[in-house]
This record gives sequence, structure tokens and C-alpha cells, in this order.
Amino acid sequence: MSNKYVEMGMRSPVNLTWEVTQACNLRCSHCLSSSGDPAKNELSTAEALDLVEQLHTAGVFQVNFGGGEPFIRPDFEQILAACHGHGIMTCISTNGTLITPELVARLGSNRLVAIQVSLDGAVRETCDAVRGKGVFDDAIRAVKLLAATKIPTSINTVLTTHNADEIPAMYDLAKSLGVSLRVSRFRPSGRGADNWESLRPTPTQLLAFSDWLAKSGDVRTGDSFFSLTSQERQGLGLNLCGAAKLTCCVNPDGHMYPCAFLQSDHFEAGDLRVNSFQEIWDGSAIYESFRNLRIHSCEECTRFDQCHGGCPAVAYHLKNDINGGDPECLERCVTSIAESRLQEAA
Amino acid sequence: MAAAGIKLHPSCRARQEGFGLLFYDCKGPRLLFAATGTLIPADYFATPRARGEFPDGITDSQKPALQKFVNQLLDKGFLHEQ
Repeated sequence: MSNKYVEMGMRSPVNLTWEVTQACNLRCSHCLSSSGDPAKNELSTAEALDLVEQLHTAGVFQVNFGGGEPFIRPDFEQILAACHGHGIMTCISTNGTLITPELVARLGSNRLVAIQVSLDGAVRETCDAVRGKGVFDDAIRAVKLLAATKIPTSINTVLTTHNADEIPAMYDLAKSLGVSLRVSRFRPSGRGADNWESLRPTPTQLLAFSDWLAKSGDVRTGDSFFSLTSQERQGLGLNLCGAAKLTCCVNPDGHMYPCAFLQSDHFEAGDLRVNSFQEIWDGSAIYESFRNLRIHSCEECTRFDQCHGGCPAVAYHLKNDINGGDPECLERCVTSIAESRLQEAA
Repeated sequence: MAAAGIKLHPSCRARQEGFGLLFYDCKGPRLLFAATGTLIPADYFATPRARGEFPDGITDSQKPALQKFVNQLLDKGFLHEQ
């Protein structure tokens, strides 16, 4: 992956995360956006459709819809149709509970949509402990409905200490259902921050997952836009954070951020009710700072060329410093385990 | 029946950037950065093109390199022949 073109600056994001609503019928303990009730001033249908027009004009290739639960929004299919009408590819992250045969039939007629159903354990007990009682069964039902169509479908799992040992079983489960598996990194944002200590994978689990992932070429990872193949994963982590360079985030009330994990006032790039999408992408000081971000503290690391300092969102949430390097990077896991063993031996 | 020729793969998109064309394949997802400048319009492969067909204004000396580039796009699956 050559970064020199990215360094030159893109005219617009390649893809973006659009959290169309904060409303959710679940209260998952790791939710990155603390979803539940709708936000106070969510974009209206007209505003959402206007944004789609702006994304088309900007040349955005793909919109990844999240929330909240996107299907809670009564006009969500209208927003989807507007995207597809412009040839914009879409990917929907859903908890699966609102997926019906009728909805699947409507979605299945379109080739521009992909769906990720969240599932956080290979067995009911593990998943429901995080997502709520009965959710495992609902999600499996949704996956089965989707797997019977041509809609590219995946199970999306957030790696936590409770499901880390079940990931190979989740792979088998996904395969048995005829869908793929996508594993996302758990980050300390939203309710994930509140439950960070109880849910975070241990360094040993992270390294074991990394080893397994390197051998599992058909498993996608959520946070490594450019480390999707098993070969690239040998680099232990991100080889480029795409925030504000190749991707960005729009929240339910039309504010823009570098990524979905950095939705705080501190990182607000702009308000779509005040400026256009293109104006914010081109002119935001926050975006400019991310484009110029260099993690100098990591430059001596032998793996710097592979990860470039890792995820700024994790660095911010754990150390309040996006310049400090990813405190949970896998290289630090290696160091942490080695130090623990030395202490035990001493 | 669709016209025969070389066309952008349905899972791919292309757009103009300062350096040239940016190709995106949602199935990876993967990107391809092509330093083509303004030689090829971003929508050129939205309609089927015959082998050896080039955009207006391409000189004979530019054609071999462009043909090689088109072949690479075919090999990588960003373009397909239908």
C-alpha cells in the first residue's frame, strides 16, 4: 500500500461512517456511541437526502451506515435508495433484531448493499451477556434470512475478553451459515469506555487473535482498512489510520468527525447544517491536524513502517493524547507479556 | 444484452484525483492509485470499450503505456471484459 497519494490529499473520503440515528432497541455494554434514545436533533429526511446528494457530488464511493440501529429510522430505506440511485455502495451495520423477510426481500433486489449483523459470541450466553437476552437468537435468524439472498452478509464481532476464545468457533458458525466473519477491535469509546476494564482483551488474547487472524485470510477486520489480507496482517496492526484522509464520520445530527470512535466536541470537524460536506472535508482544522499527524514517539519502533503508531482513537481515550501512539498496539502486548514473565521469574 | 467490451467491474468505482484516477473495489475493500493525470476521464470505463480503444487526445507514443495500464486493471479485476 503506497501512502504517497494519500499524503497528497484526497478530494473526498473513499468511504464514510454515517450514524443515521442514535436510537437503538438494545443497550450493548460495548457500544461505541452509547446508543439508546434518539439524539435530540437528528437530521430530517430532507437533510439526509441532501447529504446523499452532497456525497454523490463529492465522489464518495461507499457509505457505511451505523448508529444506533439504522433500521429504526422510518426513512432509512429512502436514504438507502437515494445512495443506490447515485451508484453509491452501502454497507449496513445492524443488530439484526428488526430484519424481517419483507425487508430482506426489498433489500435483496439491490446489488449495492452489504449487511453486517452484530454477534458477540459463538454461543447464546456469551453474546447475550453483552447485547441482551434473546439477541443471539434474533441475530442468527437475521443472518439466515440474509444468507438465503445474494446480499453480501457478514457476522460482525467485537473482540472482547469474553469472546476471544470463541473466535474460531464464530468463524465456523459464520461458515456454517454461509456468511463471512468480520472482527472489530474493541475501543474505549461510548459505553465501551465505561466497561473497558471488564471487556478489554488481555495482551495474550490479542496476540493469540493476531496469530489466528494471520492464518485466516477470509476474515475481515473492522479497523484495518488497509490490513485486510493475511499477508498485510503480518505487520501486527494498522498500516495506516485513514481518519480524515480516506474516511470520516457523520453523526445523527449532522456533525462530522475524523472517525466513529472520536465523536466528541474536541474532534468536531464541522456541522452540516452550517457548512457543506465538501467545505468541511476541505477546510476543517481538525481534519488537517489528522492529515499531518505523525506519531514521533513510535518512530524508533521496529514495526513503525507497518503501523505508523496505530489507532489515535485508542491513544486518545486511554492516554488523552492522539500523539502518543496506540497504548494497546500488539508490539506493546509483546512487551507487556515479556515484562510480566520477567517479574514472575524474579 | 449488454454491449461487449472492457468495462469497470460492477463492484468497482473510479474517480479523478490530483494524481490521476483512484479506483475502489468494495469487495476487498481495496484501492488502486493510478498516476494517470488527466489522460483518462474517470467515467471512461463506465461504458464498454474495445481493446485498443483510447480516449480522444491520446498520442501514439502514449498508447503502449496506457494499454499496459488497462491490462493491469483487467488482471487486478478493476476492469472486466463482458
